[in-house]
Amino acid sequence: MRGRKMTALPQMRDLANRLLDYEAGMGKASESVGSPALRVYEKLRQNLSSFAGATAFQSLAFRALTQAKSETSALWAVQVAADGSLQGLGTIDAQTEMGQDWAGERGIILIARLLGLLRIFLGEALTLSLLRSAWPSEVFDDRNSAQRRSA
Amino acid sequence: MNTQDKVKINKLPTGVPGLDEIVGGGLPEFSFNIIAGAPGSGKTTLAHQFVFANATPERPALYFTVLGESSIKMLRYQQQYTFFDPDKLPDAIRFINLSQVVLEQDLGAVLKEITDEVEKTNPAVVVVDSFRTMVRKPQSDMELQSFIQRLALFLASWQATTFLIGEYAEDELRDNPIFTVADGLFWLRQTPERNSIVRKLQIIKLRGQDSVPGLHTFRITDAGMQAFSRTFGLTGHVKDPPSHRRLCFGIPELDQMLGGGVREGDSVLVAGSSGTGKSVLATQFIAEGIRKGEPGIVAVFEERPQAYAERATSLGLDLETPQKDGKLKILYLRPLDLSVDETMHAILDAVQRIGAKRLVIDSLAGFEMALSPGFRADFRESLYRMIFALTGIGVTILSTVEVDESFTEFPFSTYSISFLTDDIIRLRYVSIDGQLRKIMVVIKMRGGNHAKDIREYEITDKGVVILGKRLTNYQGLISGIPVYSDLSKSTEEPSLDTGMEHKS
Repeated sequence: MRGRKMTALPQMRDLANRLLDYEAGMGKASESVGSPALRVYEKLRQNLSSFAGATAFQSLAFRALTQAKSETSALWAVQVAADGSLQGLGTIDAQTEMGQDWAGERGIILIARLLGLLRIFLGEALTLSLLRSAWPSEVFDDRNSAQRRSA
Repeated sequence: MNTQDKVKINKLPTGVPGLDEIVGGGLPEFSFNIIAGAPGSGKTTLAHQFVFANATPERPALYFTVLGESSIKMLRYQQQYTFFDPDKLPDAIRFINLSQVVLEQDLGAVLKEITDEVEKTNPAVVVVDSFRTMVRKPQSDMELQSFIQRLALFLASWQATTFLIGEYAEDELRDNPIFTVADGLFWLRQTPERNSIVRKLQIIKLRGQDSVPGLHTFRITDAGMQAFSRTFGLTGHVKDPPSHRRLCFGIPELDQMLGGGVREGDSVLVAGSSGTGKSVLATQFIAEGIRKGEPGIVAVFEERPQAYAERATSLGLDLETPQKDGKLKILYLRPLDLSVDETMHAILDAVQRIGAKRLVIDSLAGFEMALSPGFRADFRESLYRMIFALTGIGVTILSTVEVDESFTEFPFSTYSISFLTDDIIRLRYVSIDGQLRKIMVVIKMRGGNHAKDIREYEITDKGVVILGKRLTNYQGLISGIPVYSDLSKSTEEPSLDTGMEHKS
């Protein structure tokens, strides 16, 4: 609808949240580099590039980023490179005084958009099947989500 | 070394209904196969069905995609098929895209990528889709052949059953060195015939086992690919020994003319022009069978099953109850582009499901019209295969056929198929005493006695009713314009002794 800002589907935001939560937890337990959102994105990139090819992933990521930019201006400087990796995150962090929450929010939006596109093209079942090759099954357990929301 | 020491080649299910029979029981394990055909011919669907039928988390399938259709789009469409089980991804089936390697490196790098993944995964099935996109890159024939050779050897050593998928035109089949390496070569065709599209499959080569030769039709539906063997799934079936049992119509006079009924396992042709009661006779044949505990199938092409059953009701024959009881199946076979093999599959499936003993095909003209133009050209040959296959399993077939009424000849069928039938009953109109009346005569009964009598009949609310005695006071009845002859009055009853001819 014209003039109305479209947002990622709540289910996709929820799924993105779970992945980010998992990576945040893993980050505390190990020497993981980068933000949880970046780690989620990189895992998706590795898996989907292997599955569908770097070009196919780059196209999807570009579309997801375009959608995400319409939802938050915090991603204005971010770009998708030819290999599908994200560029320009450092520029944003340097020029804005975003806290961890903001970084998390823009990450959630981008990941949710990417997952949303996968869901549109492949359906929920197949999308979850693909994600299961990168994250353990408990991440996708609905009970975990319910607990997190009630906490 | 005796025969018991020979290696046993396991046969893997193809996952395509009908195809296992065509390939001789299943696809040889560890074989290196090529699926070739034009775009849209069903190559990827065939490979997917095989993969989904055989991949397990313990022995997964590796599905390498190269250039062309992206995996995301491919899976978007392929998951619409009922065989597609998303739970098999990624543990049992892994999709790996090689486009980057193909675009940026050489065949050696592609081979390395494949071998690395195979070593890591230990797959039971490997698919490269589409292998042809690698072939189109500029390289020497020797380089390509060497790549295929090494790939084939490597994958066989790793005990993987392999499919290479490639777009090939018909004329590329000959003298292609790549095909010599393959153990199996599957060729899929999609041919337009007038306004119809006909899909056909050919096993050009399959090492180690007998496949059914020839072109087999196949269809792609929501369930994926389904193949229809030219042998109708009856390969290896031993023809049932001839039966001496007689199957009645439930019309005492006609049954008597037939020497007690038609022989079980016979093919009966009821020929006559429009309105002579061919379908009525066929319905009575089926209804009598059901009354005697013999399940039946009616394949109709010209009217809907409901209309067929309602017409039977008007003759006092109940076809509704036996349908509900599973004793009767009325098949309406009128999709466009039908092949005889598909029709046969539907009929055989129904025969096996309800244990049918009698089959009515009403009518051959309708059957022919339901076929795509290409199949109509082979109608006689197809009919021969069908009748041979069905009577071979003990089913008695009654087919109706419309013939143009002629006053100068007495044709039995417009298809020149009377040689395919064991028994022929001819119905026709005659002009008698200012009325258009109907007569019936048994023309032929292979292996049995039958009366030579020409009998008059009517169609009433009880079906076909044969009137009185044989007509003896007319000459030239079969011409349709008989001449009254006051030689005698009608005889008492049709006599089996005087009116029968005997053949064995």
